Amino acid sequence: MTTGKAPEGVTGTAGRPEPAVAAVAPGAAARSVLRVYAPVLDAVRGMGWPARERVRSAVAGPHPSTVRGTSAEFVEYRPYRQGDDPRRIDWKLLARTDRVYTRLSEEHAILSTVVVVDASASMAFPPKTHGKWEFARRLAVALAAVARHRGDPAGLVVVGEDGMRVIPPQTRRTVLEEMMRALEVVPAGSAALAPAAAEAFRLGRRVVLITDFLGDAEALLAVAKRAMASGREVYAVHVVDAGELDPDPRKLLVTDPEAPSVRRPLSLRARREYQRRFGEWRERLAREWRRAGAVYTMVVPGAEPLRRTVRRITEAGGAPAGVATGA
Amino acid sequence: MVTLLAPAFFYVALAVAAGTVALHFIVTRQPTSSPLPTVRFVPRGTVRVVTVERPRDLLLLLLRVALVLLIGLAFSQPVLVPERRPVARIVLADVSRAVGSIEEVRDSARSLLGEGDVLIIFDTRARVIRAGAADTAAALVRSGEEGRLTPALVAALRAAGELRAEADSIEIAIVSAFRASQVDGATQAVRALWPGRIRLVPVAAGADTLGVAHGAEVRGPGGDAGAQDGVVLAARLAGLAAADSAVRVMRGAVTAEDSMWAAAGRRTLVRWPVEGAPPGWRERARPDTAGAVVAGGAVVVHPLERRWEPDPAAPAARVVARWVDGEPAAVERVVGEGCIRDVALPVPERGDLVLRPAFGRLVRALAAPCGAVASIGPGLGEDELAALAGEGPLATQEAIARAERVRLPLVPWLLGLALLLALLELWARRGARAGASAGDGGAEPEEAVAPTHGGSGAGAGRSRGVMAGGEAQRA
Repeated sequence: MTTGKAPEGVTGTAGRPEPAVAAVAPGAAARSVLRVYAPVLDAVRGMGWPARERVRSAVAGPHPSTVRGTSAEFVEYRPYRQGDDPRRIDWKLLARTDRVYTRLSEEHAILSTVVVVDASASMAFPPKTHGKWEFARRLAVALAAVARHRGDPAGLVVVGEDGMRVIPPQTRRTVLEEMMRALEVVPAGSAALAPAAAEAFRLGRRVVLITDFLGDAEALLAVAKRAMASGREVYAVHVVDAGELDPDPRKLLVTDPEAPSVRRPLSLRARREYQRRFGEWRERLAREWRRAGAVYTMVVPGAEPLRRTVRRITEAGGAPAGVATGA
Repeated sequence: MVTLLAPAFFYVALAVAAGTVALHFIVTRQPTSSPLPTVRFVPRGTVRVVTVERPRDLLLLLLRVALVLLIGLAFSQPVLVPERRPVARIVLADVSRAVGSIEEVRDSARSLLGEGDVLIIFDTRARVIRAGAADTAAALVRSGEEGRLTPALVAALRAAGELRAEADSIEIAIVSAFRASQVDGATQAVRALWPGRIRLVPVAAGADTLGVAHGAEVRGPGGDAGAQDGVVLAARLAGLAAADSAVRVMRGAVTAEDSMWAAAGRRTLVRWPVEGAPPGWRERARPDTAGAVVAGGAVVVHPLERRWEPDPAAPAARVVARWVDGEPAAVERVVGEGCIRDVALPVPERGDLVLRPAFGRLVRALAAPCGAVASIGPGLGEDELAALAGEGPLATQEAIARAERVRLPLVPWLLGLALLLALLELWARRGARAGASAGDGGAEPEEAVAPTHGGSGAGAGRSRGVMAGGEAQRA
């Protein structure tokens, strides 16, 4: 899998050092992040993440491929057509039936997976615990670990105030560690997720968007639609904090963390209206993403164990494509 | 009953306390904004703030309110006043010899006296009885002294000032024989000081003993009745000489038997020595001459030598005769049931003084029975009685001079307690601040929206405020 040329604002793994880990010795930093993410890796151990459709790839991997090859896993016979490889003609069948059939077999390929994580200020909520962000980065590592466990290359795009940091999909063991380091940032400012998503769609065929969709949601959906039209699998993971679903009634005045000048009073009536509007928006968001073909999953940090959340996401795409040939 | 001399201070304290309580509930700062990523879904509208606070720091609130109230109460000067009743009565009971029947005075006084009323017993003096006035009235005893209304009225005015806070109106009632001899030149002036009417309860007057021919056994210097003594002669001329009388005039030496004779019954022993001073008298430093002497209604105008004066060390006695300048010329002391009268009046051996009728009347007065030297005189006229009674309603408590109030010793205690509460308030405030700072440090930043009170410095409870609509721009 190639990463291609990184767009402006993108920091590659071989580029500038990450501020979050630069001051720490590499070995110590690795041990530190591994200690943090060790429970995450334990939680998703043994889980699989089958592709939703056949993978258009020739590189051998765990997912059923659209390519019919010469492997031992027989699928069907097909009448010989001009251009077929003569080596796949079943000569014994030709002798019995006096007809030329080509022997088709199942091929498996890899599915490069890129996780896009929103590191804008809205993810730093609640302000004290940064619950949304903490959950998002653990979920990103968990999904990447699940993908990489089956041999799929895993990559990461972190989008923050200072641009995006890209880790191209890789299968080597240390990629998870790199991702953990890349996620050691503090969400701040506003971030445009659509360009990062476009870069992720360029790098991988399965893209997971972990965000609260409070930024450029429409542009992101447009980019995702184009990607899905070209065969990409898109998983939209909507991170919603419980404090957003049901704001603390003690709060009188609320402000937008990405636009501090926006302050609105939160009365009881306004609170009810807020919950109604927020609910409608979530429903519309889910409907649009699902209609576009994405797997939309809303997650609430702390509402359920991480393994269950990962299972909901990975199994939300429907039956694994490898069960049916779907020629 | 406790009343406040300066209630305005207490009202001000109440207002300050109410303000203190209000400050604990009123939010004076805009609540701190909390970040909410989904703020875009909060509707806009007109900002309208209604705060409903749960009080916090109740101990601090109570301390402050109590402190303010205590200081206000101390400055308002609480005083203890008795419960008010419609009418308080001051009864002046005449026990002088002017009244004919002391039982009549007792009954009248007892019928007038009620709970808390004041009894003033008067003759020449006035004695104020506050506690047990009715019981005292039931045991009144005729004193035999002359009656004087002026000191009784003065005592009544003073007692009225003390009764002022106990009743809405005060009535003075005088139970007396109302003789002319009981009124002097100051009586009407003192009466005019009383702003209300006075109830007059007349009782029967006693018999006027002066001028009544009493028999007296007059003994000369040798103990015989026929001596050529001026007093004996004057007594004979006045028709007083009588053997076996209740009055014995001794011109010579007096024995213990004579004193026992006087004390054994209601008898009068008159010691009027020819030579020297009677017991209880001493030589004057400079003998002089007085132009006249008065005893009861008898007046003798004659240059008489004045050699003696009462010994201050002698027991008190009632003056029954005076020189023209007011000095005593004869005194009377009660002995047992009778009395002994000492006369320090030298009788000239020359001249015709003892033959004059005036001297005879003087001897008659000095030989009168106990307590009957002075005349009770005629009764007061109707005009005088009307002037004494006055007109109009009873005297109200506002019209009577304010007596000195009883200051409660509560004020220093209140101020001391206030000082203690001030120290406790300081301690509680420090505790509240420490708690608030600890709470702020441990709470989530977005929970720092709890508004604090301005002015009072006390923390409010978590705001349950309602802010409807509106988008506010950061100032």
